[in-house]
Amino acid sequence: MFALVGRSIESLRQVARGLGTVLKHAAREPITKEFPDTMPQLAGHFRGRLALAVNPQTGDHLCISCLQCERVCPDKCIQITSHKSPETNKPELINFKIDHGLCMFCGLCTEVCPTNCIINTNDFEMADYSRESLVYDLKKLTLTQDESAHYYSKKELPMPKPKPKPAAKPAAGAAAAKPAADKPAGKPEAKAEAKPEAKPESAEAKPAAAAPEAKAAEESAAKPAETQAKAEDSAAKAIETQAKTVETATKAEETAAKSGETQQKAEEVLKAAEASTKTEESSEKPEEKTREIDLGRVPAKSDEAAETKAAEEPKKEGEQ
Amino acid sequence: MFNLNDLAHAASAHLEICLFYLTAFIMIPLAYGVLLDRNIIRAGFLLIGVFGGISALFLLLQAQFLAMAQLMIYAVGITLVVVIALMLTNPNLEYEKSVELPQQQLPAFLTSILVFLVLYMSVLSEAWPVRNELPSADNIKVLGTSLLTQYSLPFEFASILLLVALIGAVMLAKSDHFHPGEEILGNESISETEGNENVVKV
Amino acid sequence: MTTAAAAPYNIGEIWKFVRLSLIWMGIIFGAVWLVSWVVGAVIPALIDQAAGKDAVLHNLANIIRLLTPLIAVMVFIPINATYMVLAERRGLALLTVRKGPNRVGPDGFLQTGADAVKLLFKENIDPEGSDPLMFTLAPIIFFAPSVFGAIPLLAAVTSDHELFHIVNLPTGIFYVLAMSSIPVVGIVMGGWASNNKYSLVGGLRSAAQAISYEIPLVLAVITVCLLVGTLNVVDIAWLQNPMALAGLDNSPQAAQALQRWESIRGASHMAAPSISSIGVNSLADFGFLNWNIFGGDKFTSYLALLAAGKYTVEAAIFKGLAALLLIISSFLLCGLYLTGACAEINRIPFDLPEAESELVSGYNTEYSGIRFAIFFLAEFTNLFIVSTIAVVMWFGGGSSPFPATLYAPVMQALAGVCGAVNEVLKGIGLPAILEATTLSGAIWAIAKTYFLVYFAILVRGTLPRFRIDQLMDFGWKRLIPLSLILLLTVTFLKELI
Repeated sequence: MFALVGRSIESLRQVARGLGTVLKHAAREPITKEFPDTMPQLAGHFRGRLALAVNPQTGDHLCISCLQCERVCPDKCIQITSHKSPETNKPELINFKIDHGLCMFCGLCTEVCPTNCIINTNDFEMADYSRESLVYDLKKLTLTQDESAHYYSKKELPMPKPKPKPAAKPAAGAAAAKPAADKPAGKPEAKAEAKPEAKPESAEAKPAAAAPEAKAAEESAAKPAETQAKAEDSAAKAIETQAKTVETATKAEETAAKSGETQQKAEEVLKAAEASTKTEESSEKPEEKTREIDLGRVPAKSDEAAETKAAEEPKKEGEQ
Repeated sequence: MFNLNDLAHAASAHLEICLFYLTAFIMIPLAYGVLLDRNIIRAGFLLIGVFGGISALFLLLQAQFLAMAQLMIYAVGITLVVVIALMLTNPNLEYEKSVELPQQQLPAFLTSILVFLVLYMSVLSEAWPVRNELPSADNIKVLGTSLLTQYSLPFEFASILLLVALIGAVMLAKSDHFHPGEEILGNESISETEGNENVVKV
Repeated sequence: MTTAAAAPYNIGEIWKFVRLSLIWMGIIFGAVWLVSWVVGAVIPALIDQAAGKDAVLHNLANIIRLLTPLIAVMVFIPINATYMVLAERRGLALLTVRKGPNRVGPDGFLQTGADAVKLLFKENIDPEGSDPLMFTLAPIIFFAPSVFGAIPLLAAVTSDHELFHIVNLPTGIFYVLAMSSIPVVGIVMGGWASNNKYSLVGGLRSAAQAISYEIPLVLAVITVCLLVGTLNVVDIAWLQNPMALAGLDNSPQAAQALQRWESIRGASHMAAPSISSIGVNSLADFGFLNWNIFGGDKFTSYLALLAAGKYTVEAAIFKGLAALLLIISSFLLCGLYLTGACAEINRIPFDLPEAESELVSGYNTEYSGIRFAIFFLAEFTNLFIVSTIAVVMWFGGGSSPFPATLYAPVMQALAGVCGAVNEVLKGIGLPAILEATTLSGAIWAIAKTYFLVYFAILVRGTLPRFRIDQLMDFGWKRLIPLSLILLLTVTFLKELI
């Protein structure tokens, strides 16, 4: 009997405590986010709609049509149309399509992108009335310069280097060789313009294997072609040609240092491929490779290395 | 101003008669529905309506307390329990074909006529004192006083009867195997008690 | 950004809620008051004016006057339910650290209005295999008693205003309880007629639960009636009202009032010395201690007599202990009633009949459109009505919690304001609209009732749902014995003090 009374009092006390706790919560700031009115504060690494960034400083499109993203996409929702520029002999972007209806926002494409061109924005409001309208084309995907700057700073991405060719090559071109000189001149201005005329010759000039491989960038890049051209090319290229694994590792580690460089690197891979059309073999590789791996691994040097490379390039090509 | 009791005073006899016929007009079809509806659960709900009508009649007779008790205990309490018991026991009752026994129709008719006559005669033969004065407004007090003084013995008997019925129902419904100290019964007796449980519910 | 700008405490949201509630209560109160005035005073007065010597028209005017309580309740219920739904959602949101509906209208002011419009325009679906008559009848049976059942309480909280005097039934609280027991029929009927397993189980659960918990509920109310000595809600509220008690000796109608007091309390005041010996109006200064939750005027009588030195020391100690026990009993009775009421109206933690997680939505799974709206309306109205019953039975009805001497100046000021307003109306040729006693009573009653409603919301925000066997155990093995014990205790204590 007394035990029952005791238990009753105890249970009443517990209920009262519970009521008190709940009542205290009335004084708390509501956790409700009034979404359409106040946008949620999303982290930089939030994986929202995919978009293509441009160089925040110069406004150049960063995509180099390396097809890495297309290949890595588990949903196969990325479709890149590109062709080989006749002038530069590099792949150039014609169209870039992402089917956001298929995309699962895994972010793999952004991981592999060598130029940090494809990024996940913080935009998640993509509701639309038809499936077709979920397929975004190049125009819809490309961010403005301001947006790119915003996301680059938010995601703390390294600023892509302003394209080296417009700066470096005209100077170098004046100094040195012919085929190298018209490439940089044609490239920065318009990727698509210069191509049509130039394309046929570049296509025929290249070895069958070298062209596609070069287009597909680092990993699969044609080793023979690259290796011989390595001496002239950047340190990064050396890494890639010699040991892909090493290169990807370093890339992951030193994204800061490299991202500026990678773009350049890729471009130079292309150049190397072109160069390979002229010279079939080279014997100087081994020593140079090791040297350049070191260079590539040192993040601080990458900038100057790139510049030196840019300067070297025309010379060596000229020699070859 | 007016009170509901005063209203009954003030209103003409016509109003009371009108209300009486209105109640009857609603109640009698309901009562027939209880008898004739093949769906027994609906019949149960109609029975609630009939009891509600009876409480309205009590209200017309100025017996507010009785009317409320009728409503609360019969209309809602007991009938509802009956309806629930019906729902729990034999949900397929409504689909059963009625057994037509034509040879029993005449005897049944005669019996019901007889019962009606007996009831009618007994109602007529009893002298029902009719008073002209209205019951006082606080007839609850009168009711309570007479229940606890003049009629306390029948009142107590009635309550003891109910108590006995309640205890009996509990004993019947109780499962024997919960008894401490007793042998655990076999399956047969358990099924028996379960059967009893059903009977109690109905 | 928002987190940085946010105040450390949630004062903004609480203030919004309070503002919303006050505005809505003003609307409810004003609408009912205005309608009562128009129906009960203006229209009959105009008819009387026009009638001249026509007896038929005078009778018509009287009949319209008689209809006032019904119309007042009918206006009150939908508007009130509109606010209560909103209050429940916003209040619950506050307790659960959310914001609640705040889109439709300023601060979600019109949210329930929008919901109601939506429900009214939805299709009325009759499920296949349902019993159409029963299916339609169920919401009506569920809802109608709450309209009729609430009426006597109207007289109680307005201190038996002459317009509402007609609903001052001698059976009072018994009538209210009988009416509030009807809705369960509607639930069972709706559950059965839906031809849906979930609905049927919901209906059965509801019936079992309502029948089980009605016993402690009614026993608790009966115990209070026993303590007070009457079933009449008006008298029960009147006895707890300090202002009314103060009027027992110094108002012009003192003799009449004292006679009334004697007629209610006289027979039940056997223990000597009696409070009559020092004047009943001495109870008035105990304010809210006169409420039944503190043992009613039994307790204050003891205090008054103790203060007057009428007790010997032994008697004082003995009766003091009895009074203490009476207070505990009264608190328990109130708790018992609130628990039973919670179960009766199927609110959390007793919401088994409509347990969303188990039974989809229980008895109203199949309902849509206006029939669902009626179910919804009735649920909230029932919550309000059981709260009003509790207020009348335990919390003094329309009485202020202050001692009469403190509250009298307020009443005078109120009377002054009312008089001024009435004068203005008289100038236009309209009957009086405000009356101080009724106004004060109505405001206090609404305030207390909403306090209980908010408490129910708090309980809903706190307690989880019972399991069905726990529910039955709790009802039959705990509450009913407790209520019987309390009935017995209070019966004896009443005579001892």
